[in-house]
Amino acid sequence: MAGVTMEAFGAGGAVETTSVDHVATGEPAPPRRLVVRKGRGDRIFFGGASFSGAFVLAIMVAVGVFLAIQASQALKSSGFSFLTTSVWQPDRGEFGIAAIMLGTVLIALVAVAIALPISMGTALFITEVAPKWLRSWLIALVDLMAAVPSVVYGLWGAYLLQGKIVGLSRWINAWFGWIPFLDVARADPNSPLSSESVYTASTFIAGVVVAMMVMPIQCVVMREVFSQVPLGEREGAYALGSTRWGMIRVVALPFGRGGIIGGTMLGLGRALGETIAVVMIISPRFDLNFHVLEAGSNSVSSHIALLTFESSGFGLSALMAAGLALFAVTLVVNFTASWFVARSRSGASSEA
Amino acid sequence: MSVPRLLRRVVFAVSATLVAGSFVGGGSPPIASASFSYQRISGEGSSWAANAIDAMRVNVRQFGITVDYNPSGSTAGRRNFLNGTVDFAASDIPFQFSPEDGSAPENPAPGSYAYIPVTAGGTSFMYNLQINGKRVTNLRLSGENVAKIFTGVITTWNDPAIAADNPGLTMPARTIVPVVRSDGSGSSAQFTKWMIAEHGALWTEFCNRSGRAPACGNTSFYPTIPGMIAQNGDLGVAGYVSQGFAEGAIGYVNYSYALNAQFPVAKVLNEAGYYTEPTPDNVAVSLLQARINTNEADPTVYLTQQLEGVYNDTDPRSYQLSSYSYLIVPTKVAGQFNEDKGATVGAFAYYALCQAQQQWASVGYSPMPINLVEASFDQIRKIPGVVVQDIDIASCDNPTFSANGTNVLAQNAPQPQACDQQGSVSQCPNGTGGLSNVPTDVLAGPVTGGTTPAGGTTPAGGSTPAGGSTPAAGSTPAGGSVPGAATGTTLPGSNGGVDAGTGGQGCDADTGLCAGGSSGTPTGGGTATGGAAGAIATTVLPQPSGWGGSTVLLLLVIALTLGLVLTPALAWRRFSSKEPA
Repeated sequence: MAGVTMEAFGAGGAVETTSVDHVATGEPAPPRRLVVRKGRGDRIFFGGASFSGAFVLAIMVAVGVFLAIQASQALKSSGFSFLTTSVWQPDRGEFGIAAIMLGTVLIALVAVAIALPISMGTALFITEVAPKWLRSWLIALVDLMAAVPSVVYGLWGAYLLQGKIVGLSRWINAWFGWIPFLDVARADPNSPLSSESVYTASTFIAGVVVAMMVMPIQCVVMREVFSQVPLGEREGAYALGSTRWGMIRVVALPFGRGGIIGGTMLGLGRALGETIAVVMIISPRFDLNFHVLEAGSNSVSSHIALLTFESSGFGLSALMAAGLALFAVTLVVNFTASWFVARSRSGASSEA
Repeated sequence: MSVPRLLRRVVFAVSATLVAGSFVGGGSPPIASASFSYQRISGEGSSWAANAIDAMRVNVRQFGITVDYNPSGSTAGRRNFLNGTVDFAASDIPFQFSPEDGSAPENPAPGSYAYIPVTAGGTSFMYNLQINGKRVTNLRLSGENVAKIFTGVITTWNDPAIAADNPGLTMPARTIVPVVRSDGSGSSAQFTKWMIAEHGALWTEFCNRSGRAPACGNTSFYPTIPGMIAQNGDLGVAGYVSQGFAEGAIGYVNYSYALNAQFPVAKVLNEAGYYTEPTPDNVAVSLLQARINTNEADPTVYLTQQLEGVYNDTDPRSYQLSSYSYLIVPTKVAGQFNEDKGATVGAFAYYALCQAQQQWASVGYSPMPINLVEASFDQIRKIPGVVVQDIDIASCDNPTFSANGTNVLAQNAPQPQACDQQGSVSQCPNGTGGLSNVPTDVLAGPVTGGTTPAGGTTPAGGSTPAGGSTPAAGSTPAGGSVPGAATGTTLPGSNGGVDAGTGGQGCDADTGLCAGGSSGTPTGGGTATGGAAGAIATTVLPQPSGWGGSTVLLLLVIALTLGLVLTPALAWRRFSSKEPA
C-alpha cells in the first residue's frame, strides 16, 4: 500500500537519474537509482493523506482495544463458556452469545439470500438493459434506498410488512414445513383458529427488512463492477452472434464474479450490524432457534441496543464482550469481501 | 370511531380554557410569570405513564416550558437518571436497592433525589379476540386465569377456566398469545409483584420453567417461554396486540394505551367477587387501600407505595392492578443539572400535580388524592432552584378534592353492574377500554358443553333457536330454512364443525332465546349472530393443509401439461439442430 503511494508521488515529483553512461563500455547497465525530491506541496499532501489513513486505522484499533478492555472483566469471569452459553443473565454470572450470535447470522443470511438476486438483477438491468435516460434515475433511486434511515424501515416492517407477510410465512410453513429450518413450533396450518402470531416477530421478517437495507449497498458494488466489463470482450461476444443474455452470461457475470461475491459479503457485514429495525420487529428470545419462520429471534446489535441503558457495571462489560464478538465477526467478513474484490479480475483492474 | 377522539379534543379544549381562565383570573398562578425564561429539560422512563406525561408536555408549552421525554421504560429512566444524562426520570417503581431478580442493584447517592407521585392508573390486559368474526369487548378474567395466561399454563381461549369466567361467551379454540415487555419495565415489575403476592405458586413454577430461577422475585424483565411475544415499550405491546395477525393476543399495558388503540381490556375479578376494569373511578377507589410510606426521614422510601391492600380490597369497584407512577426529581445540583433547570423541573412538577390532574381521566389515568398532592408539593421544594409556589389546592380543580378532605371521585364512583358479579348467569354485554361503546352479544345463560366436538350435531341442536327472527318474543322459532343453511355449511373438513357449533350456540337451546333477546337489545341481535356463524363456517372450510393426495395429483397434472407443451418444442429443436451437423 505504502509502496504504491510512494510511486504515485514520485511520478509527480522530479526524478533525477544518477546513472553514468554505460553504453560505451558495453557492460550491462546497473539499475539506476531513483531519488525522489518532493516539492513542498507534495510533502504536505503526502503528510495529510498518510495521516488520515493512519488515523482511520488508529480509530479502528482504538475501538477494538476499548471493547477488549471493557469486555475483559466479563470475559475473564465467563471464559470459554461465553461462546457456548445462550442465556443472558450477567448479574448472575450466566451469559453468552451463542443464541444471539446465531440469530444475528441467521437474520443476515436471510437478508442476503433475499437481497442478492434483487441487487444483482437491478445492477445488471441498470448497466446492460436500461435505456440511458432511465439509468441515472434508477441509480438515484437505489442510492435513495440506502439513504432511508433504518428506523423508517423498522416502522415499515413492524407495522405494515409484518401484517402482510405472515400469509407468506404461513404458506411456506404449510408446504415446506418438512424442511427442518422452515418448521414452526405450535403452528397448525390445518386449523383455521390457529394464531398467526407464531409467524410474527421472526428471523424471516427481520431478514426481509434488513434485505431492503442491504440491497442498495450490494447493488452499488455490483453495478460498479459490471460497468467495467471491457468493451472489447463485450463487443466480441456480440460479434460472435451472442444475444444480450448470452453476453451477460459469458462476459459480464464471469468478469464481475469477484464484485458479486465482494458486494454480497459487504452486504452481509452491514446486515450483521443492523440494529434498530431488528429491535422493532423481533421478540427477543434466548435459545438456539434455527427455525427462521418462528416467532422470536435475537441479534447481537439489537440485544445491545435494548440493554445498554438498563445495565451497569458487570452487565455493561458483558454487553461490551458481545460487541467485541460482533466487531470481530464483521471485521472478518469485510476483510474477506475486500480480499475477494481485490483478487478478482475486475477488482484487480480497478485497484491498479 | 372519531367521536371519542373528538370528544376528547373538546374536553381537552375546555380544560385548557379552564386552566387559562384560572391562570388569568389570578386564583393562584401556579406557573411563574412569563418574563421568566425556562430551560429546556429532558426526562426519560416509564412508558406506562408516557401518555400522561405527553399530555402535560403539550400543555406546558404554552408557558414556555419545553420538556423532552423518552418513554424507554422505567428501568432505563432510572439508569439514565443515575448516569446524570436526564433532568428527571419517570418510574413506576422506586430505585431497586436490592432487586429480587438477580439484576444489579441501583445505588443513587443519598439525598440526591425525591419521589413525586404524579399519576395513578391501572395495568390493563388489552386483548384481540373475535368470536364469529365479531370483536369481543366484554371479556372477564379471574386473577388466577390472568396469572395462568401469562405463565403459559392456559394456552387456549376455550379453556374451561376461562369459559367459567365468561358464561355469556362461547370462547373460540384459539391459541392465546401472551405479549409481554422486552425492555426493563415498571409495568412488568408491578405485574409480577401482584402475581407473586396473589398466585405465587404459578409464578415460581413459571420462573423455574423459563430458566430464570433461582432469582424468582418480582422483576422488571419479564421472562419469556416459547409461545410468548416480547415487545419494546407499552406502545410496542399495544401495537402488536392491535394488529390483525395478532388475534388471540393479550398484553399488559396501561389503560390509556387501550383507549388510544381503541381496543378492549379484560375485566379482572376482585376480592369482592366483581369483574372490574381500570376506569379512572375504579382506580381511585382501589388506591384508597394503597399504603403510602410516610416516613419523611427516609427519602429512599418516602411516598413509595405498598399495594397489598389494593390486591385484597373488598370494595366491589376496586381493580387489583392499580398503582401510582412517580417522577424522580433531583434534589442536588450535579452534572448537567443546574438551578435554572431545577426551576423548570419544579414548574413542570407543580403543573403536573395541580392543573394536569383535571385531565387525567380523559387520557385514561386517575387523578391523585389530596394527601399525596400536598406531600408532593413539599417534595418539590427540595429541587434546587425551584421557584416555590403557594398554591391553593382548591383551585386545582382536582376531581378527587372536596371541602371535607374526602376523595370525592372514589366516593362517587359508580358501583359495578349486577351482571359483572362472579357467578352471574350471563355477563354484561357492555364494551370496555377503547371500545366501551361497542357491546358484545352475550348468551342468556351459561353454555353447556363449551366445544362440542361433533360439529355436525351441534348445528342441528342449535338450529332450533337459530331461527332468531323472533327472539324477543321467544315464540317457537321458524327453524325451517335455517337448519338447512347450517347443515349446508358443515360439508367437508373437521374444523368447520367446531365453528358451526359455535355459531349454533349463539342461542340458548333451552329457552329458545337468542343472544341479546333477553337483555333488551334490538331483536336484530339474534339474527346477526346466526348469520355471522354461517358466514364464518363457510369461509373457514377451505384451508390449505400442506401436501395431500389432491395436491400431488395437481402437481402431476401440471407436470404432464408442461411436458405436453414443451416436449415437442424441445424435441424439434434437438433434431433440427442435429440434422445440419
